[in-house]
Amino acid sequence: MVEQSSNGAPRPLDGLKVLDLTWFGAGPIGTRALANLGADVVRVETEKRPDGLRIGGPRPVGSTSLNLSGYYNNFNSEKRSITIDLTTERGHELGIDLVKWADVFASNMTNRAVQQIGMTWEQVSAANPGIIGIYQPMQGLTGPHSEYIGFGAILSTVCGVNSMTGFEGNEPRGSGTNYPDYVVNPIHLAIGVMAAVRHKRRTGEGQLIDMSQLESSVAALAGPIFALDNGGGDFRRAGNRVSFAAPHGAYQVEGDDRWLVLGCLTEEHWRSFTDVSGHAEWAEDERFATLDARKQHEDALDALVGEWAAGQDGRQAMERLQAADVPAGLVQSASEVLADEHMADRGYFAYLDHAEAGRRAYDGPGFRLSKTPHDLRGPAPLLGEHTFEICTDLLELSEDEIADLVAEQVLF
Amino acid sequence: MVGALDDLRVIDASGPIGHYAGRLLADLGADVIKVEPPQGDPARAYPPFLPDVDAPEHGLQFLLLNANKRGVTIDVADDQGRDLFLRLLATSDVLLESWRPQEAAALRLTHDDVTAANESIIHASVTGWGLTGPRAQWAYADIVGVAMSGVMTLAGLPEGPPEQLPDLQGYHCASIDAAAGVMAAILHRDASGEGQLVEVSMQEALSMAQETAMQGADILGEDRVRGGSALGTFRMPGLGLYECADGYVFLMAAGLAGSGFPGFLELMDESGEAGDLTEEPYATFINESMNRGLLAAMAQDPDAMQELTKTLNHIDEIVQAFVRAHPKQYIYERSQEHRVLAGMVSTAQDISASPQLAARDWWNEIDDRGRGKTLRYPGPPWQLEGTPATLRRPAPLLGEHNEELFVELGLAPGEIGALARAGVV
Repeated sequence: MVEQSSNGAPRPLDGLKVLDLTWFGAGPIGTRALANLGADVVRVETEKRPDGLRIGGPRPVGSTSLNLSGYYNNFNSEKRSITIDLTTERGHELGIDLVKWADVFASNMTNRAVQQIGMTWEQVSAANPGIIGIYQPMQGLTGPHSEYIGFGAILSTVCGVNSMTGFEGNEPRGSGTNYPDYVVNPIHLAIGVMAAVRHKRRTGEGQLIDMSQLESSVAALAGPIFALDNGGGDFRRAGNRVSFAAPHGAYQVEGDDRWLVLGCLTEEHWRSFTDVSGHAEWAEDERFATLDARKQHEDALDALVGEWAAGQDGRQAMERLQAADVPAGLVQSASEVLADEHMADRGYFAYLDHAEAGRRAYDGPGFRLSKTPHDLRGPAPLLGEHTFEICTDLLELSEDEIADLVAEQVLF
Repeated sequence: MVGALDDLRVIDASGPIGHYAGRLLADLGADVIKVEPPQGDPARAYPPFLPDVDAPEHGLQFLLLNANKRGVTIDVADDQGRDLFLRLLATSDVLLESWRPQEAAALRLTHDDVTAANESIIHASVTGWGLTGPRAQWAYADIVGVAMSGVMTLAGLPEGPPEQLPDLQGYHCASIDAAAGVMAAILHRDASGEGQLVEVSMQEALSMAQETAMQGADILGEDRVRGGSALGTFRMPGLGLYECADGYVFLMAAGLAGSGFPGFLELMDESGEAGDLTEEPYATFINESMNRGLLAAMAQDPDAMQELTKTLNHIDEIVQAFVRAHPKQYIYERSQEHRVLAGMVSTAQDISASPQLAARDWWNEIDDRGRGKTLRYPGPPWQLEGTPATLRRPAPLLGEHNEELFVELGLAPGEIGALARAGVV
């Protein structure tokens, strides 16, 4: 069984040095994974133009501190933060010194912003020929749309999330989140970096990774596009249905806006469902005798399942169905997820002490390693929390030099 | 140039939850061998289908996620099949599978069994709930993970049901995390020779996709709900979904980045479609007052609120008329040329025809001889300049590489024939 090794155990990216110029979601969550695998991740930030997530929330009511955003803090655990104004000449020199220090350079800014701060691949690789550079602008480093600007909400529409989510005929509102920002793009980023780290460890060579968030997102949402391109027909939104299973959907149960989800993937699941629901006669109904028949009569099937569900306590129904090995679950709210007994038993959420925010929940690792843990050993940094130590230890500046740079507003 | 994993062999015995993980490792150069039961992986039967090709070779979802893999059939529930599987593991670097704990135990293929066959193997388990905890043995489907992770409660209209994510994102997020875990484990194994267990629970892999909901519950004790709007009582012009002549665009012409609403106004004005918005009082209002903070402050005064609503509605009507008069691609591209945050709601056709993806030569065509088709595949998530991700072979036919692999393992032709006759392979 998987027990994470105890705190302090070696981790697979120990010793890897990452200069992190990403911001918002898609980059920082990826570099967070690297940090939680042992890498020393140094985020370069500014007070002039802080990460938008530091400004946003959720945050304590009435607070404005850039250190109190749960949105930012959750995505940046265990990183160090240095505040440098890279647009100044001296600031840029310090940035280049950090490039020389680093094994990996990461950015998800627009190509225009990368040029403005003088951190193009040509500049970065000239300063450090063995470095790995991952650039993750919305649409990649080349092509007619390479200068396009966007956040996850823009990308979600362009990459197909909105047109593929929900029910035919409804406005294409999408997933209600900036979906590709949170797992698809950041963890693809971490995979790409680790592939390049392996090559660097074997050969000493760095490389450029041109990572278009659009390409990364479409790669993970490609089913309908691959089908369209290869004779499988056009995609039609089908709400909570899928092509290969029925019944499959969300059914309202007793209580205030409570929903049971059900995915009968096999004939066994279907027969067990009819047993548990007390409707063994449905299994005998020729309209529902095979998957093809159930797909053909899916409106009637969903109506019957919906009528049954309406009289059920959701949690009890889920447990009875699962006891019969039927894939069933509840649409959980965030507070239910935080209190989820299974996740708690597995110790998924990490509770970390942060100098300003106090003890707060952080998402745990998306994967676990039995011998070299992927874990969260520290909270998110305060803005510029590590400026002094990084200047001293990595950049080897004297206290006087640091004081001058602060006075010149190169450092904050 | 070669792939970053070109010296590694991966045994992919996973079901649909792990297919994308195997595909990612294969794209990075690994020799990935898909091990299916003799009747084939369930996803082979997932519609839609490749036209003019028969089962079990026509399932497009299977073809998409299993390209770049070789394929063998082994009944691992059979003693002889299990022995053969263990021999295969002994020649491999990574095992990727999706058995629930009780299934692994019944097959006698738990982590202990796997490491007894190959001490230094990296063993990746991808399941709905992980290997431990009170629900470890529970059944799962993609929609169950999306619901139980807190992601589904955020999607949908207030008057309708919560909505699942498209195209099996629960499975794919679990797979992406599994591939990342395998990469980390490979780096450790390169350095130490030591293998380990990589474990993924779909419910956990998805939790991060709750966006801000978890932190809202933790910090404020409030749950986010679907269809919720942060905009309050008025619609901010240039912010949100707008209907075009042929679909929708999403605009964020609101000052977060880029040229904001003034940039959008310039775009409308260029083609004489800005109405009276370049005139007073609108011109000054747009340049000076139209950001959310100021509007929220103005809205505190009930008298001002009425006037404000009238002004905002007028501006929005002009935006709506402008957008409705043009195709989505026009609004998207012209807006972006003016540095206005805008995206078009791309359909599958739009993505397939994207000028950007075409210009970057992203798509791959592959000659799938076994199926008699040339297939168009999407490209990889990254362009790695030094160790490119590549598409090297089509998805395997059922059992296509049995003979090739079993001969490699040292089986005599007679033995292979006997196993086939017994239904083991």
